Amino acid sequence: MSYIIPEKWDLETDVVVLGTGGAALVAAVTAAQEGSSVLALEKTHQIGGTTAYSGGVAWVPGNRYMKEAGINDTKEMAIKYIERLSQGRADSDMIERFVDKGPEMIDYLYEHTPTRFKMPAGYPEYYGHLKEALPQGTRSLDPVPFSLSEIGEWADTLRQNPIFPPLTLEEGGAIGGVDFGKIAERMENNIVTMGRSLIASLFKACLDRGVVTKLHTAGKDLILNEADEVIGVIAETSDGEKLYIKANKGVILASGGFEWNKQLTRSFLKGDITHPVSPPGNEGDALMMSMKAGASLGNMSEAWWYPTMVDPTFEYEDKVMGQLGGGRQGPNSIIVNKHGKRFVHEGTTYNDMPRSLFEFDPVKMEFANKGPVWMIFDQQLKDSQMIITMMPGEDAPDWVDQASSLRELAEKIGVDADGLEAQVKRWNDNCEQGIDPDFHRGTTKFEALNTPTGPSPALNLGKIEKGPFYALPIYQGALGTNGGPRTDGNSQVLRHDNTPIKGLYAAGNAAMNPLGPLYPSAGGTIGPGMTFGYLAGKHIGTN
Amino acid sequence: MPNGTHTVEVPLNINKIWEFVHDMNNWAPLVPGYITHEIINENESTWQFKGDLGFMKKTVKLKIDIREWNEPVSVIFDLKGTSDNFKGGGHFKATVIDDANTSMEGFLDITAGGAMGPMVNAILKNFVPKTAQELTDNIVAKLIEVNK
Repeated sequence: MSYIIPEKWDLETDVVVLGTGGAALVAAVTAAQEGSSVLALEKTHQIGGTTAYSGGVAWVPGNRYMKEAGINDTKEMAIKYIERLSQGRADSDMIERFVDKGPEMIDYLYEHTPTRFKMPAGYPEYYGHLKEALPQGTRSLDPVPFSLSEIGEWADTLRQNPIFPPLTLEEGGAIGGVDFGKIAERMENNIVTMGRSLIASLFKACLDRGVVTKLHTAGKDLILNEADEVIGVIAETSDGEKLYIKANKGVILASGGFEWNKQLTRSFLKGDITHPVSPPGNEGDALMMSMKAGASLGNMSEAWWYPTMVDPTFEYEDKVMGQLGGGRQGPNSIIVNKHGKRFVHEGTTYNDMPRSLFEFDPVKMEFANKGPVWMIFDQQLKDSQMIITMMPGEDAPDWVDQASSLRELAEKIGVDADGLEAQVKRWNDNCEQGIDPDFHRGTTKFEALNTPTGPSPALNLGKIEKGPFYALPIYQGALGTNGGPRTDGNSQVLRHDNTPIKGLYAAGNAAMNPLGPLYPSAGGTIGPGMTFGYLAGKHIGTN
Repeated sequence: MPNGTHTVEVPLNINKIWEFVHDMNNWAPLVPGYITHEIINENESTWQFKGDLGFMKKTVKLKIDIREWNEPVSVIFDLKGTSDNFKGGGHFKATVIDDANTSMEGFLDITAGGAMGPMVNAILKNFVPKTAQELTDNIVAKLIEVNK
């Protein structure tokens, strides 16, 4: 934070947006649409941030696409569902604000941008087994495919997505049943989907409104006047050039979370993130700037957790690439800790399952489930579905631990062999009875995401009995963090006394998630992020 | 299927080029992304290298079988992935321009198989010609360096 106002500004604009992810670009488009000049600063060499790297899905209750599809959703239903899941850890005013303004944001994008969504057919809400859940359909919105020719020379700067292929959610881009021929065709014709599609369509809208974007330019410090109002930003290019940028209306922090910053993750989170599934530039720049400016923080112990798996032959930007995995919900697999013991319902949502990795055993005085933990499965599962990059019917690569017996497998991976054998025997005996009394596999909606019939013992319980047996490590991962500066209903950053820091806004993973630690379903990060990016753009743009 | 050809004129006699190319240990480290190789016999070898796919890098292992040693004009080889499902082949061909100059051509062809084949081949479409060019250029540069 700097109170030193430069004699001469290098650049001047109405609004500076830090970042070019979903929340950032919605904020930029909205502010520009409302008549402001906007400068977006992107720290890395590519636009899109975590959003481009993601499925690009937005969870927004009561949106226009639900109405068009005849899906009934009310404000009361949505609030009830959010409150049930957030367990009192989210601000009720912010929940209501999100439910009110989310659909308005979607309508705004429909009217003013080429961003379009589709209801993914057959894709349920993650907690559809709860009585507060939507009885039919989903609130998740799937971006439609978009041609990169629309953004001209900027096409090559759109962040690549190594996690999701160019398929839509409905086409199986996230849950399998992948058509590799369609993928190849889209790659050759520069048609993108998911996060890349969302970003490209929003960026097109930015280009059409004269939003200026600078790559390789990181926001480093905020500039405040004597009244503690944010009036500018000190930025730095990758060549080391400092830029003093005047922001006449203010600055919007939307540059992602802090999952790649070890000091910050160890300081704040309840558990370390060893394998993020996000671009490596998310190092908490916005968090540090807002702390220096006197922001009050919230939700700091939480993240968008993910049980990361890895094919170690892949690297992304010279780092081991965290990947999504597969096989957790399937039959014929369990997840065990170092004692060879199960410790969680393996097939629960990717945000919920990893919370168990941080449990402390006060008798043994240890974190027994500390990652990596191990997914143990047999040839039946191997033959039936794609797991990380392993295709059914193909030999497992040499980086996968496998053995003809469970004991031999346990010794290979350093897990208690007696414990593992006893655990698998118990699992198999329970499968024989068609029930999992320990952790209730076969009872939650998420386990049967890609099936019309719902979870069941037949679908989700299956003996581990056909060798060879395999083990894959599961790491403590995250899609991003969701703690940060607290904001009000207009995304203004708040001090501890709840007064807004004038001229400072935050949205997306750079801010405290308005819904607290909650991940309600697919798109649970991007929906609120975009909504509060919209509110920031509206407020600052009409200021 | 994904392939690439690259031709360079080298200011060296064709026999000098053969001296270099016929010993795999001379040019193995020049493969872009080279990690290691092991010679099994005169014709067979295994390799490991890290392919730069642009936005990602992937480490692969493969086996090379030399099909023909045609001194001094060509080496023709087959390749097969041992870590991943792909196969193909390639060659180095040398053509005399004059006593002190030779035209050298490098050719590489790699095709992915299996269910992921169509997607992988779309990526290889750019990767293979780029690798063919880089390898040929690397060999030529080394040839000139060692023959200074």
